[in-house]
Amino acid sequence: MTAAPRASYAPPAARGPRPADGPAAPAGRRRDLGRGGFVLYLTGGIIAALVFLLPLAWAVLRSFMPDALVTQAPSAKDFSHLTTANYSGLINTNDILRYAGNSLLVAVGTGLLTAVIATMAGYGFARFRFRGSGVVFALVLVTMMIPFQALLTPLFLELHSLGLTNNLAGLALFYTTFNLPFGVFVMRNTFLQIPWELSEAAAVDGASATRTLVSVLRPLVVPGIATTVLYAFLFSWTEFVGALTFITSNNLYTLPLALLNMEYGSVGQVNFGYLEAGAVIAMIPCVLLYVGLQRFYIRGLVSGVVKG
Amino acid sequence: MVLVTPAIAMVTLFVLFPLGFAVYISLTNWPLIGSYHFVGGSNYSALVHDPQFIHSVLFTLLYTAIVTGPIFLVGYAMALLVRAGRFGAVFFRTAFFLPFIVGLATESFMALLELQPDSGAADYVLSHLGLVHANTAWTVSYGLALTAICVFVTWFASGLTMMLLMAGMQGIPAELYEAAEVDGASWWQKEWRVTLPLLRRNIALALIISVIGSFLAFNQFYILTEGGPGTSTQPVVMWIYEEAFVQYHLGYATAGAIALVIVIGIISAAQFYLLRDRDDRRTAR
Repeated sequence: MTAAPRASYAPPAARGPRPADGPAAPAGRRRDLGRGGFVLYLTGGIIAALVFLLPLAWAVLRSFMPDALVTQAPSAKDFSHLTTANYSGLINTNDILRYAGNSLLVAVGTGLLTAVIATMAGYGFARFRFRGSGVVFALVLVTMMIPFQALLTPLFLELHSLGLTNNLAGLALFYTTFNLPFGVFVMRNTFLQIPWELSEAAAVDGASATRTLVSVLRPLVVPGIATTVLYAFLFSWTEFVGALTFITSNNLYTLPLALLNMEYGSVGQVNFGYLEAGAVIAMIPCVLLYVGLQRFYIRGLVSGVVKG
Repeated sequence: MVLVTPAIAMVTLFVLFPLGFAVYISLTNWPLIGSYHFVGGSNYSALVHDPQFIHSVLFTLLYTAIVTGPIFLVGYAMALLVRAGRFGAVFFRTAFFLPFIVGLATESFMALLELQPDSGAADYVLSHLGLVHANTAWTVSYGLALTAICVFVTWFASGLTMMLLMAGMQGIPAELYEAAEVDGASWWQKEWRVTLPLLRRNIALALIISVIGSFLAFNQFYILTEGGPGTSTQPVVMWIYEEAFVQYHLGYATAGAIALVIVIGIISAAQFYLLRDRDDRRTAR
């Protein structure tokens, strides 16, 4: 790279980005990065972060622009005419709250159901060896490789005959099923890591069964459950083609379907201001959940995918 | 046994049964309503001669061939950036991964506006750089739509590759790098001789997940181009969807879906084989 910025940063030791070295970091490979290298790293990182964040931030800004400006080329006046008209319009004329409610209902239902069933199965697979348990567990894992996108026709006919199409509970059941293999895998790993001798020792010491369960299991099991719920919720919240196939009546639309309806269902021009505001509403829970519960998400990625 | 029953029941009811049912449907001329009869393998032989289906397969392969490299390279570069956990790395990692979390459907609706002629940010930025005209309509021409969607998907998916590679990089013992340093290895030599060989398993995983994701592409095309112009940007999953739920040729659509299951199954089996192999060698029981 160019030597100029490096040279100008290196000599004055008084004010470089010194404090940055402060926070805890593994000693390992950090040392070989000089101050110039660190500045380069920080600059590269910030530019890359902007590439990934700016489009999302821009969408948020767009959603606060009046309709007349949304459909014009971006300009400086975009920043001085901000309004919540798109949001209030969506709420009043588009019933967006109902769709957000549908999405929330399905996502929470999927999350809870997946957590309950996966926890039971994970415990069963981790603690008990019954005849054929290895084969059954392998079978559950193999279903992870079957893409639901390829099963839309048989699933549609099956759910239809069970009265589960155009049914939010049916959609949640569908989502739960395709989140189960991952959830069972994560929960089995969770229960396998628990030192059961510890709980037995606690029981011998006279601790009540409930107390044992709570004090020994909670710190180990809760992260596993959080991981399972988080994945199931986000999957359900963002899923599109399954909802498109199984839900056709307007009042049961989830958010992505409501947005699609704004794109194709409207007569004449698409109201881009509404569409953008709706997309921002769909985005917010994902961002909040991920930023808040990141460690559980990454835990799942590492234990569930990388080792699986 | 009782504990695992609900999970087994749901997987059987909504994955294994539909899979078997799909094979059955694919051998019939199943319409959405009305009676059906067996047609044997004629759906499958018709597939091979269906220019529309062949086009969707080739288009999916082309799309996969284009996006896999950029997703991998961008993901790898970002993993290098965040792996050491330096100041700011958690923020960078979060930023890089956020598009993946928000999801392709939501972001496709956002992209729709930005790809419009005259009003979209894509035209605004690129025309100021002198690359395109300010009234370029990205979603209504084959080449432009494919280009835009590939850039968009790279932005969306490379965060996942970063995560998978970062996890692998952080698992490499620091002593190996220290030993290489003692031997006077340069940065490139360390990356080439230490990181890459030890990362093979994670690289295989990241590539396979990325390829499967591309094979199953639907949202971005359905929302941004609706397969158009004509059916030129119609990937396989959209072909299945349109054939089944717009044309009501359920039997025929399902035959195409079975072909997709087989292809994905082969890739997944390859994944299990590749990954298990290295695992066994390492644990060496």
